Amino acid sequence: MFKKCISVSLSLFLLFSSMLAKANDQEMKRIVDQVSKMYISSMVFLFKHQWLINQKGGDKSELFSEPFINNIKRVYEEKYQEDFPKSDHIAKKMLLQSMIEVMEDNRPILTDADIGFKGIIPATFASQLGRKLAIKGIGLKIKFTRMNEGIRNKANIPDAWESAMIQKIIKVPKIYYDANAVVDGKAVYRQFTPLPMKPYCLKCHGTMADNPLNEGKDRSQWTNIDMTGFEMENWKITDFGGGVSILMEKSSLQ
Amino acid sequence: MKNMSLSISNILKFFLIFSLSLSVNSTTLKVGLVEYPPHLDFKNTLNKSKLFQYTNAVFNKHGLKVEFIKFPYRRGLLELKKSNIDLLLPYDNIDKSVKVLSNPLFYSVPGLCFKKEKFIPILSALHRLKGLKIAVPPGVPVINVLKNSEAILVDMQGSDIINRGIALTQVGRIDAFYHPSPLKVYHSGNERYKEVACSYFHGYETGVFIATSPTMSEKQLTLLNNVFKQAHNELSYEYYFAR
Repeated sequence: MFKKCISVSLSLFLLFSSMLAKANDQEMKRIVDQVSKMYISSMVFLFKHQWLINQKGGDKSELFSEPFINNIKRVYEEKYQEDFPKSDHIAKKMLLQSMIEVMEDNRPILTDADIGFKGIIPATFASQLGRKLAIKGIGLKIKFTRMNEGIRNKANIPDAWESAMIQKIIKVPKIYYDANAVVDGKAVYRQFTPLPMKPYCLKCHGTMADNPLNEGKDRSQWTNIDMTGFEMENWKITDFGGGVSILMEKSSLQ
Repeated sequence: MKNMSLSISNILKFFLIFSLSLSVNSTTLKVGLVEYPPHLDFKNTLNKSKLFQYTNAVFNKHGLKVEFIKFPYRRGLLELKKSNIDLLLPYDNIDKSVKVLSNPLFYSVPGLCFKKEKFIPILSALHRLKGLKIAVPPGVPVINVLKNSEAILVDMQGSDIINRGIALTQVGRIDAFYHPSPLKVYHSGNERYKEVACSYFHGYETGVFIATSPTMSEKQLTLLNNVFKQAHNELSYEYYFAR
């Protein structure tokens, strides 16, 4: 009787633990999905507002503080046709704070009326944002990355898991998850979201014909150096450009 | 349940800090301030500097009596090392023998300041530095990516590195100058900031801290660490500055 009791209790405990782990994984997936969409929305906003960023002078208040976040909210709701997530987890709260901090760090250049191209493009913003989050010590890491070959910023080189996901994405483009990853001895949840190539990506990564610096010039005077100072890669719209990799420590749910 | 345990933990933390502060707040903490624009700018009244507003509010919230004293950087560090002051802020943590509170106030990012016509906005495009003459201020450690680039690094003479660097770029003797925190150069409070444009080596951030006197008691150190850790968790200085 006693043995039976112990056995039933143990079974119930294991069942309960597995249900709890599953619920935690679902909650983690929900948060990471939202973080990924918020991050991508901020990049989309920057893509669409390069004219404002690179404008010499004028009102730039839309790029800072709450107005900046409100713009990202609008992009999110338009792009994903759902309400902007509530800041009910530290990852989302810190992501929004970090976005404001990154733009404030760039205020001197963004408001410099003598400089045209400011270098605040989605890739550099995403990279700064990722580093800002990493040093906050909240167990959240975000990286905008692609395969090793031809990566422009060596700080964004993919790790082994990311490289494996990129190979999978090239075959079957979709979002990949890993609910059972361990990084530096910590249980983490990982997600890789591919970003489809858009015509505006090709302005820097496409062919000389896509380079805005060549507009109106004779073909003999065209350059294959883009406006950021890098050699263009001759990518096509169907090529894989890159994706957003998110890593969140499971302990952040506790 | 989770919220309740968080509240209990917050209450316990409050009482820990409160009881520790009762035992040390009878004395006045001497806090040295060194200029670090735009965070702490001596050209304006202290109340207008966000770092002063933030730290003053943190001390006040915990009932800690403080006396703020302005110093030039080297003098401030000397007074701290002699324990004539209890704290010094902000401190770049170059001399690792100086003790600091555990949470950085903010981070500084090294970079280059160019004459505007020669501005390079993205420094990960390292190949663009090839052949450029870049001045490095005396005693300032240079990050490896710049050392390993094909830029020509030259020593800068003098102590007023900001004005000297700007002057040299303007007359074309150098293409740019290196600074461990170009924000000190490139911010609207600097009258000469419009003469240059600066960009950053992102990924090489270093913390900027509150330094503590070498003779500070463990009890006082624990109190101050807890006070600033709690303040950071409630509202970090970086976000306070940016929002």
